[in-house]
Parts: sequence; structure tokens; C-alpha cells
Amino acid sequence: MRLTRQQQQTLRAAVDRIIPPDNYPGAWQSGVGDYLARQFESDLRPVLDDYCAGLTALEAESVARFQQSFNLLSDEEQDTVLRHIEAGEVLTAWDVAPCIFFNLLVNTTAEGFYTDPEQGGNRNGVSWAMTGFEEPGSPSPGSPARQPRWGGSGQPAWGGGHLQ
Amino acid sequence: MMTSHDAIIIGTGAAGGIVACVLAEAGKDVLLLERGPALSFSQVGRDHLRNQRLSIYGHNAGPELEGNPRVFVDPAGNARTVRPHEPDYHNNAACVGGGTRVYGAQAWRFMPADFRMASTYGVPEGSSLADWPLTYDDVEPFYERAEWELGVAGDGPALRDYVPRRRDYPLPPVPPSPQTVALKRGAQQLGWITSPVPLLINTLPYGRRDSCIACKYCVGFACPTDAKNGSHNTMIPRALATGHCKLVTAAMADRIETDEEGKVNGVSYFVQEGGLAQERGKAEAHTARAKIVIVSAGAIESARLLLNSYSTHHPNGLGNEYDQVGRNLQGHLYPRAYGLMREKVFNGIGPGVTLATTQFNHGNLGVIGGGMLADDFIKPPIDFWYDSLPPDLPRWGLANKRFMRDNYTRVLHVRGPVQDVPSPEGRVTIDRAVRDRWGIPVARLSGSTHPATVVAAEFMRSRGEEWLRASGCERVWSWRPGLVLSGGQHQAGTCRMGHDPKTSVTDKWGRVHNHDNFFVVDGSLHVTNGGFNPVLTIMALAFRSAAHIVRAYFQCATG
Repeated sequence: MRLTRQQQQTLRAAVDRIIPPDNYPGAWQSGVGDYLARQFESDLRPVLDDYCAGLTALEAESVARFQQSFNLLSDEEQDTVLRHIEAGEVLTAWDVAPCIFFNLLVNTTAEGFYTDPEQGGNRNGVSWAMTGFEEPGSPSPGSPARQPRWGGSGQPAWGGGHLQ
Repeated sequence: MMTSHDAIIIGTGAAGGIVACVLAEAGKDVLLLERGPALSFSQVGRDHLRNQRLSIYGHNAGPELEGNPRVFVDPAGNARTVRPHEPDYHNNAACVGGGTRVYGAQAWRFMPADFRMASTYGVPEGSSLADWPLTYDDVEPFYERAEWELGVAGDGPALRDYVPRRRDYPLPPVPPSPQTVALKRGAQQLGWITSPVPLLINTLPYGRRDSCIACKYCVGFACPTDAKNGSHNTMIPRALATGHCKLVTAAMADRIETDEEGKVNGVSYFVQEGGLAQERGKAEAHTARAKIVIVSAGAIESARLLLNSYSTHHPNGLGNEYDQVGRNLQGHLYPRAYGLMREKVFNGIGPGVTLATTQFNHGNLGVIGGGMLADDFIKPPIDFWYDSLPPDLPRWGLANKRFMRDNYTRVLHVRGPVQDVPSPEGRVTIDRAVRDRWGIPVARLSGSTHPATVVAAEFMRSRGEEWLRASGCERVWSWRPGLVLSGGQHQAGTCRMGHDPKTSVTDKWGRVHNHDNFFVVDGSLHVTNGGFNPVLTIMALAFRSAAHIVRAYFQCATG
């Protein structure tokens, strides 16, 4: 299943409020969309309906609160919408519990941003450079760049379409 | 197809590999069964979301997520089926080497008082706290043997106040890092004694294998230079080199077989043709006969196997005449505290755990036992994000991102295992309604540790915060421990050793009461589980039981 165009736009704007750009890239630019595209085809498949329902409801909340699509709101307005959802204060009917969707959104965005780049997000190890876990371009001893590639067990199923 | 052996050992973890090696080197014919595969470094991989420390979507050392369920019963009595990577499964790795394939490898001895908990503290109501049927002095030579045969890095003289020892470690300890310096300063201010953490890690080449290259992936992962010493790269290769030990992987023991008089005479097991990735239904059933059978499958799976091996002579399962098998499941509550330093305390040099205090393992007013406290292994950023952020920090937005940016390298961590005060109601039983991929009834986990464990954990949490403040942390945070079932990777206690068959499952050698030739040798034997990582004790007891088996069963016969 693929996200609708509207859901993709909402997702892109939402993950960039969960981890906004500053002097380091935000979630979307660092590849969280690619991470999620893979996960929607594998580990997140069982909750994909909830995720999509939440994105649709998030858009509806935005329209109800600001008469505007979520992706067109200002940063402050987007944060207002998200804070109300986090608190469970919603204006529209939701097909998924707002807190369940919000937790999914926050956790999966952080996963895409902070996990190993092999999984599609954290492009060029940007969050590892940001935190100081690893310096970019100088892999520490034993890091994957110096080791044979791994595959098979423990890897998510590849093949998810990349979100635009 | 039927084969015949001197001994069959079920499980290749910390204990099984040692027993196999000692028996095979004594010239005995050993069949060693492992339910999982042998995993290479690249197969274990470096997936930050699917490893034995952070298992959000899976893990990296088995068992496979599908076809290996357990049933977990919550405190309200609601039962649900859980998969291996979910926390309530209480998983330990299922592959050649068992948990030692991916462990952090802390190599602590238990203290003399850890073997005498009931005598030291009395028995709180509702607990099954008891003394061991052996003492520290009985185990000491085997601790030394484990330290030297597998390879432990540590500083013996620095630990002289913690346990008596006759011989130092074979390898020097891991070097200090900035966090070590800060914590040592704090401990000195408090008047606490600290020491380097003993680790089953080659700080120098040892056992014909390379030394540690200080990468960031120790606990939960495999070692890139094979410098982390587990069963898979020490004792099992030695066992196989004798030519007397046959290792069968993807082999799941179904039941312990008994003869018409109820005497153990073999094991039936399934082997998945073509490996575990194959679909169900292609398993080949085997039975093997042996003079001696040794179960080393870990506290949960060993109990499950005994309970599933019921027969006319043993209607409640093997060794379970008095309803003791599976009881007293224990592991560790793990209080932890975090604090924010002004300066960087992270230098990216693994394994990360360097300094500990054993000051509070015993002698704490109003507390039964206590525990060791140490700094922590390096946490990958996503693990840190899930585990270590202050509770009052927003979970999203710029504030969260900037905390990760500014403070990942400035957070000091201390944590440690707290001695479990066991409850007989924290237990493993069998759920006949739920079957695994082989059709075998699965383990059902229920109950919790005793409330006295929570008191000890809360005490240790306070010590952790105190240590961090004295070390210069501006802010300190932690979480109150709760009353839960403890087990997990430190699982123990389900076939405890003792003198009385009515309150224990085996004798002090691991021989199951009322059986001549049937042993349990793994963490299941632990009467109590110490305030330490239990693996070195599991190893020491395995050396001790294996030496006994060779002496009592084979040397007389062969002259």
C-alpha cells in the first residue's frame, strides 16, 4: 500500500517538526522518508492503516484549526496542531487514537534519523556527526565501512518505494 | 535414525560449551545440540534497531521471530502470546554460543555472602531466598579456571576487597576513558572504592585470537576481531578439535527420553532440513541415546524441556515430583541513573564500561543484598534516544534535537544488576494450548520477583544518583523501579540446586534428584543470582559439574 499524495505531503511536513532543520538537516532531508518507505513495506505494515489514518486526521485537524493544509502552515501553527494531538485535544473524528498515532510518528521519525544509515535514513551519518557518536568520513575501528557488508538475518525487507 | 553417545548436551551457551569441551577433552563421545545456527560476524550485523540490546523490530542472534512464541501472564492475570523480540518474552540469544555470542561479557564472581543469602539476611515472607548447597570456596578454583581458559581482562589487586582470589586475571583491564576519570573522582569524594570492570575481552591477543580494537559495538553485537570471549570461539572450537564432539545446529530438543523404568536414556530432537529459514513441516525427527544427558538450554528453556518430558514414571515432568521445576525464575532489576556533565565524557572508545563499585552489594541498612554499580557500554544514538533522555525533556521538536546534539557526549550513566530476592511465584510453566514451529508446547511466564528486590533496586538507584552528583553532574535523572518479573538475559533459578528434593531440583553438582545420569548445568541452578552479571558463575559451575561428571562417571569405568 502506498500513501496518498496528501498523506505524503502531511508526513513530510510533520516529520520536519518532530526533528526540525537547524544547523543540521531536519528529518526529511536526512532521509527519514526513505527509512519510512522501507518500513511501511515491512515492520510497519501491521500499523500502516493506523499511520495513514493518523496522517489524514492530522490534515483534517489542521483544516479545522487553521483552515489550511498542514504542509502550508507556519512552523508555529504546525507545532500548535501537533501539541494538541499529543495532548489528545482533537477537533475532528479520528479513526485511530491520537496518542497512538502521535507516538508512532515521533518514534519512527527518531528511528529514521538516529539509526544506522543502512536503513535509509540518517543520510551520510548526519545524526551521528551531530551527536558526536561518530565523526563523518572517519569510521571508527570495526565500523561497517571497514567490514564486509552484512545481509540476510536482521535486515528489513528492501523494496519499499521511495517517498518523494 | 538412532545414534549412541557417552553424553548428550542440549545447548551451546555459557555452560553447554564448557561441559562439551571438558567431556570431549576427556575422550568422551559427545553429541552437542543447538537449536539455532552458527552466526558469522556479518550475519549478526550492526542493525541499530534489531539487536539483542535494542530489539524494536527484531534481533540479531535468534530465535527467529516467527514460530517461537511464549505466553506471558501480566500481574492482573491476563495471558498473551509474545514474540521473541518483545520485552516480556525474556529472551536470550539462540545460536551457537547462546548469549555469549552477543553479550557485554562482564566477568564478575559472586561474593561469598551471595552463596549464603538466607543465613545472612533471613527469609522474608513470601520469598524463596535460600543458601546454596556450596560455598564461595567450593567455586573459587573454577572461577579461576573460567577466567584463564576463556580469558578475562581485569585488575585482581584492585578487587581484593570484593572477593578473595588466588590468582590475578590473565589480561590487563580496559583503559580508562573521560567518564572513568569523572566517576573515579566522584567515588573518591564519597569515600567509595572503585575498580576496573572485569571483562571476557582480549585486551591483548589471547587464546590465539586478536585483541579488542575498541569499537562501539560490544553488548548486543558480535566482535569484529573475535576478541570477545564466548563459548562459540573458545570452548566449542576446542571441543570440536578433539574429534570426539559432534555439534548439530538447527536441532531443537523435543523431550528427554526415559526407559520403561523411568531412567533417562536419551533425547529426541528435530532437525530442520536446510536450516531454520525453511518453512515448517520439513523437520526430521531424531532420537539419540546416551549414558548421560545434560540440559544447558538457559533457565526458561531448560525448565520447559524438563516439564515437557513427562511420562508414566514422571507425570509432572522430569525432576518435578515436588513442583519445583520452573519456580524461582530470577534475573535482575537494573536501576540506572543519568547525569549531565559540563564537559564531554564520551570519547567513542569502546566497550565503554570501565569502572565499578561493589561497595553496596551487601551491608546496606534495611536492604536485602544490593548490587554492583558501573558505567555503561556505549549506546548507539537511537538506543540513547529511547533509553536515556531526561523525563522532562520534550520528546520532539528543536529542544529534543538540541539535547541530542549538545549532550549525547556529556551524559554520564551508571547502572547495575540488583540481587534478586526470588519468589516461588515468579515461574515458568507450560502452555499446552500454544505450540512452537516444531509443535512443542511453549513456556508460560508468570508472577514477579519479591517486593524486597524493589526496595534494593530503589536503594541502588539512589546510590547511582549520589555517585553522579559527586562526579560533577549538574542535573541527574532516573526512574523508580517497579515490581515485575525479572529474567531476561540474566535468567536463572528455575532448577535450583539444594540438599532437599522437596525444595530444590538438583544436587550441588547439577544432578537432578532421584536420577543417576541426568543433569541440568546452566543458570537454572542458581539458588540466588548475585548482584552481578551471572555469566562467570554459570561458567564456573559448568567447569565444576563437568569435572565431577568425568570423575564420577567415566574415570572409574575406564581406569
